[in-house]
Amino acid sequence: MIDLASRPIVLPGELLASNPKVAGSGTYIENGRVYAKFLGLLDKTDTSVRVIPLKGRYIPSVGDVVIGVVREVTGNGWVVDINSPYQGFLPVTENPEMKPSKKPNDVLDIDDIIIAKVMNIDPKMKVTLTMKDRMCRAVRFGRIIGINPARVPRVIGKKGSMIKLFKTKLGVQIVVGKNGLIWVSGDRRKVNIVEESIYIIESEAHTDGLTDRITEFVKRRKGELNGK
Amino acid sequence: MGSEEIRLIVDGKRLDGRGFEDLRPIKMKVGVLKRADGSCYLEMGKNKVVAAVYGPREVHPRHLADPIKAVIRYRYNMAPFSVEERKRPGPDRRSVEISKVSREAIEAIVMKELFPRSGIDIFVEVLQADAGSRTACLNAASVALVDAGVPMKGMISSVAVAKVDDVLVLDPMKEEDNYGQADIPFAFFIRNDRIESIALLQMDGRVSRDEFVQALEMAKRGAMRIYEMQKEAIKTKYITESEEEVNEVE
Amino acid sequence: MKLNDDIILDIRRDYVLGKLRDGERIDGRAFDDYREIKIETGIIDKAEGSALVSIGNTQVIVGIKMQPGEPFPDTPDRGIIITNAELVPLASPTFEPGPPDENSVELARVVDRGIRESEAVDLSKLVIDEGEKVWLVFIDIHALDDDGNLMDASSLAAISALLTTTVPAERFEVGEDFPLPVRDLPVSVTTQIIGDYAVVDPCKDEEYASKNFITITTDSDDNIVAMQKSGSYLMGEETLMEIMDTSIKKARENRKLLKEV
Repeated sequence: MIDLASRPIVLPGELLASNPKVAGSGTYIENGRVYAKFLGLLDKTDTSVRVIPLKGRYIPSVGDVVIGVVREVTGNGWVVDINSPYQGFLPVTENPEMKPSKKPNDVLDIDDIIIAKVMNIDPKMKVTLTMKDRMCRAVRFGRIIGINPARVPRVIGKKGSMIKLFKTKLGVQIVVGKNGLIWVSGDRRKVNIVEESIYIIESEAHTDGLTDRITEFVKRRKGELNGK
Repeated sequence: MGSEEIRLIVDGKRLDGRGFEDLRPIKMKVGVLKRADGSCYLEMGKNKVVAAVYGPREVHPRHLADPIKAVIRYRYNMAPFSVEERKRPGPDRRSVEISKVSREAIEAIVMKELFPRSGIDIFVEVLQADAGSRTACLNAASVALVDAGVPMKGMISSVAVAKVDDVLVLDPMKEEDNYGQADIPFAFFIRNDRIESIALLQMDGRVSRDEFVQALEMAKRGAMRIYEMQKEAIKTKYITESEEEVNEVE
Repeated sequence: MKLNDDIILDIRRDYVLGKLRDGERIDGRAFDDYREIKIETGIIDKAEGSALVSIGNTQVIVGIKMQPGEPFPDTPDRGIIITNAELVPLASPTFEPGPPDENSVELARVVDRGIRESEAVDLSKLVIDEGEKVWLVFIDIHALDDDGNLMDASSLAAISALLTTTVPAERFEVGEDFPLPVRDLPVSVTTQIIGDYAVVDPCKDEEYASKNFITITTDSDDNIVAMQKSGSYLMGEETLMEIMDTSIKKARENRKLLKEV
């Protein structure tokens, strides 16, 4: 159940405040008034008013960690599908595995999966990626799970609490892409538990006590595994 | 139309028993399709329509993309079995016109500049038609857009007013549409529970200027009631635990 | 470049295959299990017959419209069935507006053959004036949500709609309304061929893993009335016979649902 008392649902065009200074994300200002921009949960404090989206396609921002699939190989880089209306482009200069002796498709080929970072976005929404970050790599094993990008913050958890839970309790490696794609690697049955947990988080993202419920769920399923 | 004398108002009531300002029964269900980003099934009288929204997403072919804003596509389509005499599949001139004016209503409120070089697609299928299908479709489309999380200035609510037997009536049904003296479909941009402006306006028939002003006021009142139902349908979807509830209003 | 593809379905292709190698399907079904099937008829009053079928999340609506028309010259004593499918863009991110493409045409023709070859509709009872006027039966398939196996959903919806169709004789002043004479229950069973594996009632993930499938339609006596091998692949005889036997069995099960319509 969504807890509406603390976070009511708002629709586009609902008036949220009459002081433009408190306008946060998910709002727009017209004639000095602050309105909701899309369907979401209202998060109102004394100093800011914002709307947390319940849905929506992933729109890249600089600095986002994303997981993508190579669609095209060109002479100077790779065109990458990042689950967005906008494609990403990874220049050869931004891939540490690229060496002068190698050709682009020796390093990354069509359908390869990568973890990358959004380096730059130009005014026409041309997205440039980089793999020069320790989080980034080509993904050659493990599983990719896809969820509604609006739920990603919940999968990460407050200060990374959910990710930490999966890592410590199940010993998996996990990278959560801002674009709704999540890479998990480890013992297959443990990865299954992570996947199930993620789908639960996705459908119950804005409910109370979720962290506790997931902790319980993971504990229980892990116990079932050991019991076998 | 109206070759024979048909009385559309009998004893102060309409042929289906409604008062002049009564809407037909309306039902809405949000999020009925799995593949679409947002969707809405809507019944307005005998109209049964389903709207789906996809996007923002890539535009194909690429040359149709706009470098500074999203391209909106709206396709109103009638299923062959939606009308009494089977309609051949595919767009006809009427569907093309309805798609255009409906798209324009939506373009006016969607924040297109947030998504340059992308497309937002709205597809509405009329499964059963009965006067006012275009207004039913626009109401469903507005809800589907909200369900998809598309940023908009507000919402769109749509209803038509007809003049029959010299009387203005809200939300005409088939006979009133066919044999009436005028048919005026409206759609309004609604923000913060107030009608701000007109997003769609067409007319067929003849009315005086004063009659039009009356029709406008009647339409606004009707649209506000539809808006309340749209809001309710959306909020209900996210409140209930399991499936979406049907918001049924007489 | 892929057109409006779903990146997640794309990525899951390997996962689907991996699961199959372990003897499992990604949604936990047995290799020959159908998802939940729901059939609702009479939803479009203006149509002479209608049905909404869902198989899992896949939804298809079929409407039946009838009107008098001229018979074909070589069959002056038979009514006519015309089947059309609209894979409207509403139903999937990969459907584009426009005239029916080859998949849409294939779907309509396979559903049509199942109904025609089983002689499910007694066309001889659809004559108004022999040689001059007969009933035309339009079967219009309208996809609403493509989560895999539109074929079987369409074929179930078509026969369900026909079962609840009333011939509108009164409207055309050619007599009294009567129920459309349906005397058989053709049921199609679609099996997706993914590498060395064959799974019945493919969900979208499985359709993405391989475009190859085979549809086999049987009548109430377990005769084969339609078959369609679709996709560029080579099928061995043994595999075909296994699939055929499974299809006959599954069709019998699904036919029970039709009996309740």
